[in-house]
Amino acid sequence: MAHAVEQEYTTTGLNHRKLLMWVFLGSDCLFFASLIATYMVYRGQSLVGPYPNDIIDVPVTTISTFVLLMSSFAMVQALAATNADNRKATINWLLATALLGSIFIGFQIVEFNTFKNEGLTLGGNLFGASFFTLTGFHGAHVTLGIIWLLALAILGMKGRINSKTALDVELCGLYWHFVDIVWIVIFTLLYLIAGFDVGPVAIPGG
Amino acid sequence: MAHETEHTSHHPSFNQYVLIAIVLFAITIVEFVLIWDTARIVDHLGPSKIPLLVALSAVKFAIVIMYYMHLKFDNRLLGAVFIAGLALAFLVGMALIALFVGFEGNPRDYAEARALPYAEHAEETVGGESTETNHETDTPPVAAGPVAIAVSAAGETLAFDISSISADSGSEVTLTLDNPSANNAHNLVIVTAGTKDAVAADGTAAGPANDWVSPGDSRVIAHTALAGPGASANVTFEAPSPGTYQFVCTFPGHNFTMFGDFIVK
Repeated sequence: MAHAVEQEYTTTGLNHRKLLMWVFLGSDCLFFASLIATYMVYRGQSLVGPYPNDIIDVPVTTISTFVLLMSSFAMVQALAATNADNRKATINWLLATALLGSIFIGFQIVEFNTFKNEGLTLGGNLFGASFFTLTGFHGAHVTLGIIWLLALAILGMKGRINSKTALDVELCGLYWHFVDIVWIVIFTLLYLIAGFDVGPVAIPGG
Repeated sequence: MAHETEHTSHHPSFNQYVLIAIVLFAITIVEFVLIWDTARIVDHLGPSKIPLLVALSAVKFAIVIMYYMHLKFDNRLLGAVFIAGLALAFLVGMALIALFVGFEGNPRDYAEARALPYAEHAEETVGGESTETNHETDTPPVAAGPVAIAVSAAGETLAFDISSISADSGSEVTLTLDNPSANNAHNLVIVTAGTKDAVAADGTAAGPANDWVSPGDSRVIAHTALAGPGASANVTFEAPSPGTYQFVCTFPGHNFTMFGDFIVK
């Protein structure tokens, strides 16, 4: 039984799956830090446009950021409902989280399309290359999370999610919240701070 | 089980979660207002808003991992594992940025300016015809005194056949541009670093009568006349003070792909 697995011997007193998820999230920090640092290194180094100020739409992205923050709220409610053995609420909150995540991805698809039509491409300039690589990998993380949430919702409908298997929901929640905090960083750096860059700028000390 | 009861009892209540969501929302609104043009705060704060924005997002980050991800209530080891990853990530990011900022622009230029011959390679060439033979094949030709450099357009492709040329400061340089294309016209313009697109834009405005170069443009060191299909053109000038310049074709649209570095030593 799945439940029996949680009682396995451990020297730390911690569930192995949960520890593993935190190890993964810790290492995923390195992945995103490299991409974010690459963006910052190439910031203002594009020789041709479009530059961030030409195309970045901060108000629209503020809305999608809000949507992603709210999805994290829905996620904690899904876990609370699971712990309370409230099956219907669990499924609804899981689906709500997946829906909010999908709206975020919808915003990103529209954004990518608009940028492409305005001339920003992966191979066009350094801004396009570093921007699409970073936000694209984040979008891929969100998409994976949506699939995970939907799979949990289906398990819930089959009656397989309850307070005894709440760890399944908790792990998905940890992943989901992590994707949210990565976006908090990306939104601040790429949109609020670097979103108004108008062209090639001198790098400090350069 | 002890594990599960401990778990549920320490989780925040529904109302607390709502409060956390409201705080996160409010911080996002504050961030937005800080940078929003019409709020005018962006002007008052200037660059000092950047640490403020970083601090606000760090607060959001901390709230989410402490409450939504339960690190505040969970075993400390889980938090230690994550914070270790986060700290490493921060160091990697800072190292990358420091590395590139230290390069003063282009890492390749930085390396070339400071390159010293590898001792063992230098010994191998001693006793040979020359001690100056340790040029790698892709090293740009270096010249002293009067020097002739030939650059050719790469067939029908909108590119030059060489990405970098160089000369000593003060030497008399004769640049020849060969244009083997059957259709395209090209010129070759030496400009100060980073100005090739701006010079080309002004050149487009100056029109074909001026060989697509704006007369009297202070960013232009030298330029050839326009070489039509199958033709060639040349220009003689004195290499300017040491540094990296660019050469570019300013025929409208060509500047985006047809350029290279002109390194003066």
